[in-house]
Amino acid sequence: MSYRESQTNGKRLRFHWSLSSAGEKFRGAQARAAQSGIPDLSAHLEFCRTAEDCDIESLLMAVGFHRADPLVLAAALGVQTARIKFMVACRSGLMSPTSFVQQVNTISVLTHGRICLNIVGGHTPEEQRYYGDFLNHDERYARTDEFLSICCSFWSGVPEVNFHGKYFQIEKARLNTPFLHGAGPEIYVGGASSQAVDLAVKHASCFWTLPAGPDELFPRIRSVLDAGIEVGLLVSLIARPTREEAISAAREMLKALGNAPRKVHKEFAQRSDSTAFGSTLALAERKPEWLTNCLWSGAVPYLGAPSIALVGSFAEVAESLWEYKQAGITQFLFMGWPDIEEMKLFSRHVLPLVRVRETRTRVQEAACS
Amino acid sequence: MQLKFHWRLLQGGERGPQTRVTGALLQSTGLPDLDSQIDFCWQAERLGINGVLTDFGASKPDSIVLATALGLATSKIEFIIAYRSGIIAPTGFVQQLNTLSALINGRLSLNIVAGHSPQEQAYYGDWLSREERYARTTEFLEICLALWKKHGPVTYRGRYYQVESARLNTPFVANHRSFPEIFVAGGSAEAQELAIRCGTLWMQMGDTPENLGANVQSVLDAGKEAGLRMALIARPTHEEAVQAARDLIDDLDPSLRERQREQQFVQASDSVSIKAIYKSAAELEWPKPYLWRGAVNTHGPATVCLVGSPQELAEAFMEYKKIGISQFILSGWPKLDEMIFFGEHVLPLVRRKEQEMALAEQTVQAS
Repeated sequence: MSYRESQTNGKRLRFHWSLSSAGEKFRGAQARAAQSGIPDLSAHLEFCRTAEDCDIESLLMAVGFHRADPLVLAAALGVQTARIKFMVACRSGLMSPTSFVQQVNTISVLTHGRICLNIVGGHTPEEQRYYGDFLNHDERYARTDEFLSICCSFWSGVPEVNFHGKYFQIEKARLNTPFLHGAGPEIYVGGASSQAVDLAVKHASCFWTLPAGPDELFPRIRSVLDAGIEVGLLVSLIARPTREEAISAAREMLKALGNAPRKVHKEFAQRSDSTAFGSTLALAERKPEWLTNCLWSGAVPYLGAPSIALVGSFAEVAESLWEYKQAGITQFLFMGWPDIEEMKLFSRHVLPLVRVRETRTRVQEAACS
Repeated sequence: MQLKFHWRLLQGGERGPQTRVTGALLQSTGLPDLDSQIDFCWQAERLGINGVLTDFGASKPDSIVLATALGLATSKIEFIIAYRSGIIAPTGFVQQLNTLSALINGRLSLNIVAGHSPQEQAYYGDWLSREERYARTTEFLEICLALWKKHGPVTYRGRYYQVESARLNTPFVANHRSFPEIFVAGGSAEAQELAIRCGTLWMQMGDTPENLGANVQSVLDAGKEAGLRMALIARPTHEEAVQAARDLIDDLDPSLRERQREQQFVQASDSVSIKAIYKSAAELEWPKPYLWRGAVNTHGPATVCLVGSPQELAEAFMEYKKIGISQFILSGWPKLDEMIFFGEHVLPLVRRKEQEMALAEQTVQAS
């Protein structure tokens, strides 16, 4: 058994979903400035409860000037739900790390630990300046490294936190609100630059990456796995009973979107300094829209980088997930159009195929050993 | 306008009388205690209390997150969220408050303080002097107000904060306001100036109406409100109230050394008003028959205390009303019992006296 297989086999795949578009089917097709930032609480709660019923582990709460604050929203949804976890996106540079830990810990107590973090570097200098952050891409990562070092120091349980860095100086800090339960929240890091990978390897348990063709994706995964952390895939889903129905759903979707969103995303990419967003958009423009039998980049010009999608029959999508698992991917973060319907289809028809196969493999392995 | 009465929220694990210094050391103070705290808020709603104060500090849960949880479980009560500058970017702060406002229909206001302990500020990475903290808090609030009041992107170039073309898609959502009430708390001239410049109300610690009068008037003249942070010991008779005040001190456990620890806290603080109140409490325990400073040196600076029968206290509140005080943040020992007694026995008398006063004014105007 290779190193990679020993890392991944035996662990069940973990599935998460993005809460970003709760109540709005094509939120991602609009310019950010035109999106509503007023959260529809009942739509969000319906989303959370559906996710709980569908055995989704956690929901990504995105961050941005055009959205409600993800920590406050996670607190609000957390006290009204029972099982679902909240994966709160976070950028450094907005808040003292001490205060951030205090907020995260307070949410953990209110929700019995149902919070984890998705650390991102920020993708648009223009938007960072709204928050008083004038650092460039590489410096933002250096600051985020300091930020996470301080946070992790609090969560390690040391009696007092001291840190003297370039961006933060903290002295004898103590907080009276602990993280429940365990040694701090699970930390995910998203991105594509080498700084993002370094940050993930240093602080995170899992690195989120966007899909690409196997030739490009698999070496990328391998280097992160070799550094000792998990890799998760951020991908959209269009799974239907047959391949024809899935493809037709994808085509229908593009037709419904019209042409306006293309301009929106081109303009956004020009303002962004994110490596991940830029390279995905370039990929979608450069390559044929089918990167593999199931992986489709046709929606990217309309819905942005995270909309590279697995498109196919339930069995084909399950097979794709299995292939990614073989390559070392252990977690998935999905989006769908609309999310709730796609989530139900996934839970009813794709997830059981994955679980059955995992069980069968485990039994076979036990018999061999 | 009716006087508005707010109450300090019950801390996690707080059951009986508790001093500030001891509360700060208890692990339970750091844990939200939703069942008890929601019950406290419901009682406050039932009694006609306007708001509850959620404290800010390293020994407590985050005030915004806690207010979110409590706000979703209540329908009328407002949350007065204590916060300091230097902890979060003003744009991020406004985004958090606006999000909360959208979830609880605007039931929040702010209690902004400049910070009183250099040691605790260093926990958060804040190394500025007291004077600079005030200068930074001014910039902080100016950016917040611009985001709330200005239509269109906000650009601000200050010494402590620079933001460029900032905008947020989540507005402050409330029935009658486009931004929250902003209490600026602190007894110094800097705090008063900041309240006039950026606040809606100047909140200071309790004192006699005579001592407060001139400073309050200058805030009123600037078109802003004035409020007081006080404690309360109300009992059926004057004698019982005074005895309860004495018992509060006599019943302290000497082994906890609360007097010494409070003294250390005051020495380490760089707050002008905390030091001044501490000193005045040692000089004169009863500056008025209804005003007691005897708990300050053991229970902390916010415990200048109104003591008396419901009738006496209602009259005391009216004296403050006459000099222009319009809102109070009150506390007691234990908080819940004192709030219930206040709501059932003192508040109705205050409301009756307010009606009488309004009628008398109308009569004067008519004649």
